[in-house]
Amino acid sequence: MIASRLAALTVVIGLASLGVGSAAVRAKTVEVTIEHFAFTPANVEVAAGDTIVFVNNDIVPHTATATDNSWTTGEIAHGASARVTLPQKAGADFFCKLHPVMKGHLTIAPPK
Amino acid sequence: MMKALSAFALTGAFLLSMSPSQAADPLTDPQIAHAAYTADNLDIDYAKIALEKTKNAEVRQFAELMIKDHTAANEAALALVKKLGVTPQDNPFSQTLAKNGEAKKAELRGLSGAAFDRAYAQNEHAYHDVVVITVVEQWIPTIQNAEFKKFMTDANEIFKVHLAHAKHMVDSIK
Repeated sequence: MIASRLAALTVVIGLASLGVGSAAVRAKTVEVTIEHFAFTPANVEVAAGDTIVFVNNDIVPHTATATDNSWTTGEIAHGASARVTLPQKAGADFFCKLHPVMKGHLTIAPPK
Repeated sequence: MMKALSAFALTGAFLLSMSPSQAADPLTDPQIAHAAYTADNLDIDYAKIALEKTKNAEVRQFAELMIKDHTAANEAALALVKKLGVTPQDNPFSQTLAKNGEAKKAELRGLSGAAFDRAYAQNEHAYHDVVVITVVEQWIPTIQNAEFKKFMTDANEIFKVHLAHAKHMVDSIK
């Protein structure tokens, strides 16, 4: 057991030193809750390549859609969730296409 | 209850025929569930008429949203009453809603063009206004079941958003 774990660790370290999978290591997943017709948090700190999981706790369907249409979740039903992996040129402002009063903003970290 | 029913009458959307004694009794949870379901279905019917008649993009978008949201609200309500083991109960309030809703539908079907768009928008504004008042002032305070009370509180947020949206629609198509 210990030997196999050490072997796996060695492979991971080896790949990391070669830069393989480094983007995947840096990318993170952030959860945004949709409740009471609001995104929480409404200001999301992310970087290109990160994934945002939108969880809809409202009764009605919602979307999270970039105002420049560079990304969207599509409709998320009551109790469902949708994942968006941010493209390199992701629009920062987003809203619910069905209920435009709902708005959010991404603070996108510059590429390293 | 009287205040809410008076508001329905004042909007012109509903003509009331309930007796004072009927109106004075607060609705039970099963009766409120039935009335809410009836109100949702009425608004879906209004929206279907709008989709048949309107050429206005904003009116069409609003009508599509009403069908989507009120259908979702009804599905959630049905799931909740099933979970709670409650059977929605028909009542004079629901019957008045349905009766006067039929009259409003007939009125809308008799209109066309800009006159229809204005009448639909104004009715949606008035309808949601009264629904919000009724839910906040009459239904939520009297609902006994905590889970049902929370559901109606959440549902009222939908109606408030629709009210603001309808107000915007009324203003934009004057």
